[in-house]
Amino acid sequence: MSYTTFNRNEFDTFKQPMFFGEPVNVARYDIQKHKIFENLIEKQLSFFWRPEEVDLANDRKDFIDLPEHEKHIFVSNLKYQTLLDSVQGRSPNVALLPVVSLPELETWIETWSFSETIHSRSYTHIVRNIVPNPAEIFDDITRNEYIVRRAISVTKYYDDFIELSNYYLQLGEGVHTVNGQTIDVNMRELKRRLYLTMVSVNVLEAIRFYVSFACSFAFAERAKMEGNAKIIKLIARDEALHLTGTQHMLQIMAKGSDDPEFADVAASCRDDVVAIFAEAAQQEKEWAEYLFKDGSMIGLNKDILSQYVEYITNQRISALGFDPIFESRSNPLPWINSWLNSDNVQVAPQEAEISSYLVGAIDSEVDTADLGDFDL
Amino acid sequence: MSALLKDVNEQDEFELSADAGDQPAFELEALQPESDHEAQPLQAELYLPEDNAENPELPPQFEFEGMARPVFSVALDDGRAVRFQHAHSLLESLEAQDVDVHYQCREGYCGSCRAQLLEGDVHYNTEPMAWLNDGEILPCCCIPKSHIKIKL
Repeated sequence: MSYTTFNRNEFDTFKQPMFFGEPVNVARYDIQKHKIFENLIEKQLSFFWRPEEVDLANDRKDFIDLPEHEKHIFVSNLKYQTLLDSVQGRSPNVALLPVVSLPELETWIETWSFSETIHSRSYTHIVRNIVPNPAEIFDDITRNEYIVRRAISVTKYYDDFIELSNYYLQLGEGVHTVNGQTIDVNMRELKRRLYLTMVSVNVLEAIRFYVSFACSFAFAERAKMEGNAKIIKLIARDEALHLTGTQHMLQIMAKGSDDPEFADVAASCRDDVVAIFAEAAQQEKEWAEYLFKDGSMIGLNKDILSQYVEYITNQRISALGFDPIFESRSNPLPWINSWLNSDNVQVAPQEAEISSYLVGAIDSEVDTADLGDFDL
Repeated sequence: MSALLKDVNEQDEFELSADAGDQPAFELEALQPESDHEAQPLQAELYLPEDNAENPELPPQFEFEGMARPVFSVALDDGRAVRFQHAHSLLESLEAQDVDVHYQCREGYCGSCRAQLLEGDVHYNTEPMAWLNDGEILPCCCIPKSHIKIKL
């Protein structure tokens, strides 16, 4: 089946599965098969923010005063966040849009990915503020072996799926010979790769990001790099929504209500899911070792961060209906909750960027008394 | 009306060549005012409700005679027991009684506070957006409808 940007077949829009049904034609939101995606779009739109709203002037000074090993922690963490959002700003679009079959899900994917591009822009905003030459930081993302290693595991499921789905879109199902290579395109394998891609996306959003948030907030907990923490709060708010979207997609697949074959695929992938979560947790612990190689910081070290990795991994995997993979423990970073909550900074909204404060809102209430001295 | 409009032909007084000699030299790095207290973390500014959600100081706006708010017991699977009466959500009630619950959004979309409902029934103030497996509840946006038992 080849992709078409406006499907002219006649079909019942609301009988389509999430993926691999008819390509979407009319972008209509009057009725939804899965109302949750419409709700997520509305919520994400209400969250709109821009990095420039957050003033980072004090962060520059804070950064210059940080000891070398803390600069290493801050910059490495920022590079990692930049990598994750670079991937998420494009991959959901590239991987999922060609095979999506529901208008509300298609728009959710676009809205989701777009908000990741705002996150990427905010990293540039932060980097510009802390170093004179942003290229020093950005160029290292593709050179630093620790970051490259992580980039591979973040992107491999996406890339595997995109490779096969490209063949599917061009050649359809069947065994094909392309450039002398035999390629077996079958729906079962496509669905398996898609399911595992979604699991790896969920791991990225729900575990990897949160580990990096913990580092950002650990600085702010000591009254350092607070502008950065405000940006991360806004990013964390978006990510909480994205991970909910991904959990819904995974669970709708696993329940099989909209495509019974997906339930079967999900059931056969349970071991792979556990392996993906366990691998990510292991990598996050290794990353913690790299971050704190030259020394810890007050409030956060390799051991505490590793405990947080285990805690958050358990939380996220049980949300998908799996048993926790680590010994259960309480949150080793209890202060992170109030940092993650984005609406609780009690400062004048025009001075600090309280996230519920509407930019460009106008007071539209006009009293007759306002026109008292008005004559024609 | 005309008085409200600014006459565009009339220039504001504006001196281009101000005497720069009296101006202090421009400093890029502003001097920090001396202060004897340590910089407070931003966290200190966080808004947290001052009154206990389960022991409100002010009486509720409406109190019907002979109709006290019902009290429901909230049992935790680890043996702790608290009660729910006044709070706006189960999460607030638990926090007010020193039960730590993981949270983020507090409005139903992140799913961080997800808990298992072992016995009883809850009512949702707002429809939760987070995915809930069978038997799970979101304490941030529900209140008990009966005596309940939960597992965090």
